Amino acid sequence: MNLDILRHLCALSGVSGQEDAVRGAIIEALPDGARYIVDRLGNLIVTKDAREPKPQKHTALFAHMDEVGMIVTHVAPGGFLLFSHVGGIDRRAYLGKRVFVGKNEIAGVIGVKPVHLLDDGEKRKTPKSDALCIDIGARSDVEAAERVQLGDRVCFAPHFKTFGDGFVKAKAIDDRVGCAILLDLLQQDLPYAMTAVFSCQEEVGGAAGAAAFALVPDYAIVVETTTANDLPGVDGAKRVCALGGGAVVPFMDRGTVYPMELYMRTMALAAAHGIPAQTKTMIAGGNDARVIHTGGCGVPTLAISVPCRYLHSPSVVMQISDAEAAQSLIYHVWEELCHP
Amino acid sequence: MSDTKALLFDLCAAHAVSGMEHAAAKRIAAHLTPYCGVTIDKLGNIIGTKEGAGHHVLLDAHLDQIGMIVTGHEPNGFLRVAKCGSMDLRVLCAAEVSIHCADQTYYGVVPASAPHLNDDAADIVPDWADVLVDTGLTQEEAERDIPLGTRVTLRQSAMELGEDRVTGAALDNRAGVACVLRCLELLEGEPTCKITVCFSAQEETGGDGAMVAGFEAQPDSAVTVDVSFAQSPGISPHEAQGKLGGGTMIGVSPRLSSEISDMLTKLARRDDIPYQMEIMGGRTGTNADLFQHAGRGIPCGLLSIPLRNMHTAVELADLDDIEATAQLLAAYVRERSHA
Repeated sequence: MNLDILRHLCALSGVSGQEDAVRGAIIEALPDGARYIVDRLGNLIVTKDAREPKPQKHTALFAHMDEVGMIVTHVAPGGFLLFSHVGGIDRRAYLGKRVFVGKNEIAGVIGVKPVHLLDDGEKRKTPKSDALCIDIGARSDVEAAERVQLGDRVCFAPHFKTFGDGFVKAKAIDDRVGCAILLDLLQQDLPYAMTAVFSCQEEVGGAAGAAAFALVPDYAIVVETTTANDLPGVDGAKRVCALGGGAVVPFMDRGTVYPMELYMRTMALAAAHGIPAQTKTMIAGGNDARVIHTGGCGVPTLAISVPCRYLHSPSVVMQISDAEAAQSLIYHVWEELCHP
Repeated sequence: MSDTKALLFDLCAAHAVSGMEHAAAKRIAAHLTPYCGVTIDKLGNIIGTKEGAGHHVLLDAHLDQIGMIVTGHEPNGFLRVAKCGSMDLRVLCAAEVSIHCADQTYYGVVPASAPHLNDDAADIVPDWADVLVDTGLTQEEAERDIPLGTRVTLRQSAMELGEDRVTGAALDNRAGVACVLRCLELLEGEPTCKITVCFSAQEETGGDGAMVAGFEAQPDSAVTVDVSFAQSPGISPHEAQGKLGGGTMIGVSPRLSSEISDMLTKLARRDDIPYQMEIMGGRTGTNADLFQHAGRGIPCGLLSIPLRNMHTAVELADLDDIEATAQLLAAYVRERSHA
């Protein structure tokens, strides 16, 4: 895992619909010989030719560039910014966090009523989203309106940190780690031509479907992150999957039922190559597979994910060894699907 | 002004959860030594003494900050914690923390439940019994390296916000400490009355530091500098009287000396120092309450810096208010010195 690339990608703001900075950084990092187009919706479609340019089966890889965040909806008196969420965020994660607003990355904070002033009921309840606002240190609404505009996207302030025994904490690991894996694969000396799609707007519905329609691949592999709930006090199936358990290969989630044959083949390949792999023990979450496998006349699609704690929060945590296992498994599955 | 900001940022970089102030004592005392002799007393108060004639004034700002304290070890290196001071449970979701061991600071994250799993959980504020810290260590490593009782802070360095505002995790009450230091800077070279500076310990857990510091110093008067609630959306003017950027807040309360409150107000008017009044019906919730009853009793005044989002990692203050507070504090010392 190239942590420098991951650190760089996670630091960028790419809230759904404004993936420009991430797309620019990925284009910048593409290896010599890679060609790309940006489609009408902003998906970045990269092709890298190889010694044997034509695999028997065209197997495209997908990772999404966007991240969950917020969008400015109103500038209130006093210079406070009201906002709506973009993608699914537990509103508890907003409280007391530092954020960056718009392309100029204006720093702000999401405050709360001080704990001293709360009555017993307020102490037990999360404030409603519409009671929250972003404070950019402006002294008036006029000053605030000079620095931000309605529709500006807001991301959590990035802070990339390695800690413990090979863990990484950052915002937007979902799905910059997928982007980093695809970039790393594209750097390698590949036996077949590779198509990698860096997609937009996964967190709000998925623009990847348009790319799937345009490419009509024989197979698609979605490179993603998925929720691990492996906390003390959580037992059995409710753990979903665990950090340190390797790549996660689901047979079904809330977006997609995956072809059983692909799932079984992937798990068998993992076992054959000694790559740590696990499945999800709960039907939870979903990803671009939903819009990719219905692209055109249909694309058999598989997801291979990095297990992550605290997804969609400013502090997503993953273990480096899991990302390495996922990358290794993705490569082997891709190779086998290309040339069975 | 920019010097005050740099000073404040350096003060905020120190970690002094109640009862563990010695961890930050060296860093903070270093800012005080240019002005006076410095000692650290039995409870961890940093005491500065500047000799002078006549009146003896004590200038107080508490040194400690809220935090958490490790109470247990769980599988996979998770820690259980309790609050140390009135930490707000609501801001812990996905918070980054620093775990302050004797030889090393460890990094941790407070878990957030992913919205993919339980859509309805977002309403609920957890109990302290459910709060964990993820260290990324094994249980064995955590038990060996992070003893029970270790203090934990919200991890957030201070930064500028807009033009004259700052945000960070320990502005309560490093902003007060900065005011006292800035006041000493303003008074430098002037003959003054006797000044005792008290950067007090354990305010957030009850004010025990102030109680003994007041007894030891027995000054003729004391002024406590702390932060107080600033207005922001969703808070009524009755709950928070302070306006951010509205100047220093002069406390008026039955527990405070009316003479000192009046003197501070007159001085602010005379010197054109921006100020606002903070009226309380009884306890002030600051060290002033403790000084009043220390030893044979100390007449006490209170100056507060308006602060938004108190006891979170995104506390927010205005540098102009800090400067106004320092100016008024210096005016008070001069007035006592000339009397």
